[in-house]
Amino acid sequence: MSQSTTTAALPRIKPQRKFSIGKTLMWILLSILIVTQLYPLLWLAIYSLKTNEEILSGQFFALPHVPQWSNYSSAMESGNYVKYLLNSLKVTLITMVGVLFLSSLVSFAISRFKWKYGQAVMVLFLIGMMIPMQATLLPLMIIFKNIHILNTHWSLILPYIAFQTPIAVFILSGFMKSIPNEIEESAIVDGADVFRIFWSIILPVSVPPMMTVCILTFINIWNEYILAATFISTERLKTLPFGVYSFVSQYSVNYGAIGAFLVLGALPVIIIYFLLADKITKGMVAGAVKG
Amino acid sequence: MNVLKVSKLTIALFVLPCLLLYVCLVFVPIIVSLYTSTLEWNGIGESKFIGLDNFNKLLFHDAVFWPAVRHTLMFAVFSMLEIPIALFVAILLSRFVKKPNFLVSSYFMPVILSVVIIGQLWKTIYNPASMGGMLNQVLDWVGLGSWSQQWLTDPDIAMYSLYFVALWQYLGYHTLIQFTGIQNIPSDIYEAAKIDGAEGLKADWHITLPMNVPIFKISIVLAFIGSLQSFDMIMVMTGGGPGNATDVIATHMYRMSILSMKYGYGSAIAAILVVVCLVATVVINYGFNRLERKYT
Repeated sequence: MSQSTTTAALPRIKPQRKFSIGKTLMWILLSILIVTQLYPLLWLAIYSLKTNEEILSGQFFALPHVPQWSNYSSAMESGNYVKYLLNSLKVTLITMVGVLFLSSLVSFAISRFKWKYGQAVMVLFLIGMMIPMQATLLPLMIIFKNIHILNTHWSLILPYIAFQTPIAVFILSGFMKSIPNEIEESAIVDGADVFRIFWSIILPVSVPPMMTVCILTFINIWNEYILAATFISTERLKTLPFGVYSFVSQYSVNYGAIGAFLVLGALPVIIIYFLLADKITKGMVAGAVKG
Repeated sequence: MNVLKVSKLTIALFVLPCLLLYVCLVFVPIIVSLYTSTLEWNGIGESKFIGLDNFNKLLFHDAVFWPAVRHTLMFAVFSMLEIPIALFVAILLSRFVKKPNFLVSSYFMPVILSVVIIGQLWKTIYNPASMGGMLNQVLDWVGLGSWSQQWLTDPDIAMYSLYFVALWQYLGYHTLIQFTGIQNIPSDIYEAAKIDGAEGLKADWHITLPMNVPIFKISIVLAFIGSLQSFDMIMVMTGGGPGNATDVIATHMYRMSILSMKYGYGSAIAAILVVVCLVATVVINYGFNRLERKYT
């Protein structure tokens, strides 16, 4: 899917009187959707500032009488929010660097080298896109137990990298194929070797698709829950989604603090979304093309 | 045409690191799990080779398995049902709204949140009114208190409550994809159609729909993948319960293997899961290749 097209394709119909009923209905529909899609999040934010009594009173739309910021401080103190956050950051960053590094090497080989098995390697990656990560949960657990990396961050990072590479190779090799051959032909004439061509010519022009790969990896890995919950058992190694889950199951009666912890858990992604909404939506469309 | 002639060593340097990691962590586990699916094994003690007994038991003597398959497929079907809605919204957005990007990004917001946040948020919404659950409180407030339900603990309703959360989370994704697809249709096609007298809905029927066929494929694949990802959401929200009322294939596998330590049996379920995925991909691709040939 082309990523550059931003102009509206459909000719806009100028507002006319006879359309006004239809337009009103349309705006009602679009507003209802805004409410259904965003109100639960807003409700959670308000919920997180209420006392237990206010939450249980049935006044679901009422604002808290006095905002209970203490919910946040108790969430911060009793849950290891900062620890979880740093763990998630570490795991996600290493995964991102690993995916970018490994998949750009392979993509370069697939899209530019003259060799017999390029297509075969590509097919192998395409098959991998169809294999659900869940199916490897149990064998990976057995393998990791045997090589003694279960319950370490590596038991997350390695499969995360492996399962993100197919889509990354798909996106990157697709892009690299479109770079004109004349570029490296002239580079060879100038005496550059493959490594130089890769590092100083192909990589710099591939920054946009690499951004897409970064965004996809970030969203998928930052939010990953089931692998983290299965492979990690030590409290100080938990990533944010798993940490949020354990906090919620431990403090099941302090509703406000649970709300506060959920808001804190959602906050990093929401902040990034506010900053990069355009890039994220484009990246997610590119990521959906798999299959 | 690829032009770089390089030595075998160079090829190995570029390809092997990634390929080895990938094969070891994606394909080797699948093969290991094919092997363990023929065992009776609790993960620690002696294992016993029992051939295809696990599959026999799973396919013909497991009361949970087929309902779990049905739930998995229903997830995909429900997700596909929202594609026409998403298409309709996307057409409205691109045709009548001056600055559609704000709305598209707002609808998309739930997609980027972790399944844990989404799951816990909806668990809180589904709570009984006496525990602060919003949905039942809203029903009370509008005078429909009798419609209040135990949304996640009533076995007849729990599955639908889960489908709904998935629909809610992914509506924005489908809308975004259809919207992007429509934006990429060249506008001169619509202008030509206008001269031929096709405008508005008629133009959508004859142009937008057929031109968006490849996009439907993306949406349908996404709906299918989403139905697999429902696994995480179910683990967070109900864990497959009450009883087995909300089990899908993957939660059944998880409960059998990781929680009940029946590693051989769990591996057999994992193998079936892989087969279901491969078959679904082939069927979807075959169907759309025919459709695309018809329309392009």
